[in-house]
Amino acid sequence: MAITMADYKGTVKADWCPGCGNYAQLTAIPMALSQLGISPDNAVIVSGIGCSSNMPEYMRAYGFHGIHGRSLPAAQAIKWANKDLTVVAYGGDGDGFNEGTQHFYHCARRNSDITYIVSDNQIFGLTTGQASPTSRIGMKTKTTPDGNIEPPINPLSMALSAGATFVAREFSGDVRHMQETIKKGIQHKGFAFIDVFSPCVTYNKDNTYDFFRERVYRLEDEKHDTTDLIAAFKKAGEWGDRIPTGILYQREAATISDVDPTLKENLIRSPIKKLVPEDIEEFL
Amino acid sequence: MDRNEVIIRVGGAAGEGVQSAGLIIAKVFSRNGLHTLTYNYYQSIIRGGQSWYQIRASKNPVKSQGDDLDILIALNRDALERHTNPRINEGGASPLKGIAIYDSSIGNFDRHEGIKYCEIPLSQIAQKYSKNTLLKNTVAIGAVFGHLAMDFEILAGVIRDQFGGKGQIAELNVDAARDGYNYFAEKYGKADKVLNTSKTRYYLISGGESAGLGAVRNGLKAYFGYPMTPASSIIHYLASHSKSFDVFVKITEDEISAITMAIGANYTGIRAMTGSSGGGFALMTEAVGMAAEMEIPIVIYEAQRAGPSTGLPTKTEQGDLLQVIGASQGDFPKAVFSPRNVKETYYMAGEALNIAEKYQMPVFLMVDLYLAEHYETVDGFDLESDIERGEFAKGDEKDYRRYEFTADGISMRALPGTKNLMHNEDSDEHDEKGDVVSDAVTDPEIRNRIMEKRMRKMETYMKELTPTPTYRMDDAEYAVILWGSTQGVVEEAVDILRNKGIKAGAIEVNKPFPVNPDIKNLVKGKKKVIFVENNYTGQLRRIISSEIQVTGTLVRKYDGECFYPGALASELEKAIKE
Ligand SMILES: Cc1ncc(C[n+]2csc(CCOP(=O)(O)OP(=O)(O)O)c2C)c(N)n1
Ligand code: SF4
Ligand SMILES: [Mg+2]
Repeated sequence: MAITMADYKGTVKADWCPGCGNYAQLTAIPMALSQLGISPDNAVIVSGIGCSSNMPEYMRAYGFHGIHGRSLPAAQAIKWANKDLTVVAYGGDGDGFNEGTQHFYHCARRNSDITYIVSDNQIFGLTTGQASPTSRIGMKTKTTPDGNIEPPINPLSMALSAGATFVAREFSGDVRHMQETIKKGIQHKGFAFIDVFSPCVTYNKDNTYDFFRERVYRLEDEKHDTTDLIAAFKKAGEWGDRIPTGILYQREAATISDVDPTLKENLIRSPIKKLVPEDIEEFL
Repeated sequence: MDRNEVIIRVGGAAGEGVQSAGLIIAKVFSRNGLHTLTYNYYQSIIRGGQSWYQIRASKNPVKSQGDDLDILIALNRDALERHTNPRINEGGASPLKGIAIYDSSIGNFDRHEGIKYCEIPLSQIAQKYSKNTLLKNTVAIGAVFGHLAMDFEILAGVIRDQFGGKGQIAELNVDAARDGYNYFAEKYGKADKVLNTSKTRYYLISGGESAGLGAVRNGLKAYFGYPMTPASSIIHYLASHSKSFDVFVKITEDEISAITMAIGANYTGIRAMTGSSGGGFALMTEAVGMAAEMEIPIVIYEAQRAGPSTGLPTKTEQGDLLQVIGASQGDFPKAVFSPRNVKETYYMAGEALNIAEKYQMPVFLMVDLYLAEHYETVDGFDLESDIERGEFAKGDEKDYRRYEFTADGISMRALPGTKNLMHNEDSDEHDEKGDVVSDAVTDPEIRNRIMEKRMRKMETYMKELTPTPTYRMDDAEYAVILWGSTQGVVEEAVDILRNKGIKAGAIEVNKPFPVNPDIKNLVKGKKKVIFVENNYTGQLRRIISSEIQVTGTLVRKYDGECFYPGALASELEKAIKE
């Protein structure tokens, strides 16, 4: 029987604020998975802590809702342990680019075969509105009452410099477009990173739906070469009146599972080693 | 006349081949059917400093590195003076009473009574085989076995294995050793007592290797770690055998990643482990609680070194017990193992994997630098696995609940990929199904019930807690309580006291947490209870006294060195007489 969006419908109702960007991803991710024919029993959604990280609670799939900043190590290991599973990691900008920065960088460099979607709302939502690593300079929040003085990090150029093989950006205001990119990310062999502008309607009055609607454009509408790393870096740096969405960069590369001989067979099914006397001969 | 035992120390600077010489000597003994135990004293530098390697070999089982030195190989002058000087008493062992083998180039030095000084042109002989004097340790090894009059071919075999077969380098070393062997025999003659050997061959293995091997025996499929002394020996062993064992070994960006990956792998359904020393383990702390809350099995190999902080990176201590027991916020079930020797480490690694999976909780395999890095002979290992995994749902269960409130607290797992049993495993507090109860409306009743369900696992586990092992306790008047790696030295100290007519015995804690209440019975009626711990505050005593109200005098050591039997016996005697 064909897999449909309904197969992914969870029993717990999402309790994000009305209008929260995360609702768009709660539609786009199951859409992408079901359209690719992936059954929810083979899908694992891994997250950290934050409003966005509550995602696995609301989907009918295997959910791993871990701790703040640590979704990527868990997600990678799940994929290494059973490569038949489709693994999607999901979380916030604080989760991914503060606490989890080192995991993000190393996951990209390893080209681990998972999809990582960040709900980038440029704020800490769950902890009620503090500056995040992607908050703009000057932004007033509870922790930056006089305005943020630290320049934001750029998740896209960070991913590119780490060697990520699939780097994209999306906007919660365009679910269809996002869903197509997520599909391509899941199909991509290796690490696929998608940074999603996901407005926090409650705590971020700067980066609103209107803010993004006025600025975002689609890369495929322009002559952007997704195999050109330099062009991708340029696009990653574009900010202001025009902000690009879509796939910035994609290339084929071996994943850890291709290269590590112990991952050739699926670990979950490979036979357990039976020790024989020859195995301990070296100690004689 | 025969002798049963010999203790040899090789002293020199880092980079002079102290450790490799020590290992070759140890292996010659283990291949001659002698029980052997080694101890490596070193610093974290690559060249210079002073390091030494002690090897004790005997016809009878050896339990510690021993006290009385019979043979010294001094690779430089500092080593010669240090290990022969009765006042320095390096490492707590008694100073040399036997022979000292040293290079003729050493020149003048202080001589002491009771030592036979055997000068050998080690460097000169070494230079026959290579431009530098690198082979002088090999010449010295040859001299030792010339002195002991042991079969040269066994030594030659060990050297060849060490240098990877019959290549040119191996043969140069064999020739250098032969020269040393003959030189000694001709100039100084053989030892008047011949060491008893036998045809048996023992396995010579370290605690770190034994932990890795024992885990593989019980189905380990992945190991995630980040190097840190003394937790590296297990990584090195598993990494170098990953293909033959079919174990995935990943060196991660940090210890947080290492443990989280290991938890992710266990969640998926394979047996995975992580490990570190105290500093790296500190980073893992938050994830320990995550595993407990999500009820995902995890085994953590924790190899202690002297703290606090970076502390003494190459020195031993038992200072992490409170850190391990207290790791992570909140109350949750857990088990802490502290194997007492290399062989027990092998079996406990396998047992840890079983207990972690059966109870879906963190299990710690605690060793220390002494146990992780010293080599010990073992007569054999049971290679047959004894895997117990607990129950897994198959997909046809009606009304499956991941965290079902069962009587024993254990709920059936459903691995990702299982048909129809999709559910969420959450670090937020949740109900039986895994649905979160922490947000919006917190449900105190559910919270109590799931908390009690998790803690019931501890009660269930307590029922299968193995009895605390003992040594000579039957008629003992004084009980010495130890934990982990100090077993051997405490037993030897107990024997020394017994020979003096003091009826001591040992209670050997190999599962420090949860505390086994049987200890209360074991100390009943004893005239005195003494805790022996390689730490400052007596961490086991603190745990045991708070959990079961058993306490006693503390005999401790926190200089970074292990205990030595003679010195420990004197301290115990003092404590008994106090
Ligand atoms: C180790 C740790 N530090 C801090 C927190 C508190 N905390 C929870 S979520 C969060 C930030 C959330 O921001 P983000 O990751 O951007 O997610 P959002 O809520 O915006 O989706 C913080 C600081 C925590 N749970 N764990
Ligand atoms: S606080 Fe912001 S991020 Fe969190 S649910 Fe509300 S709108 Fe969404
Ligand atoms: Mg955020």
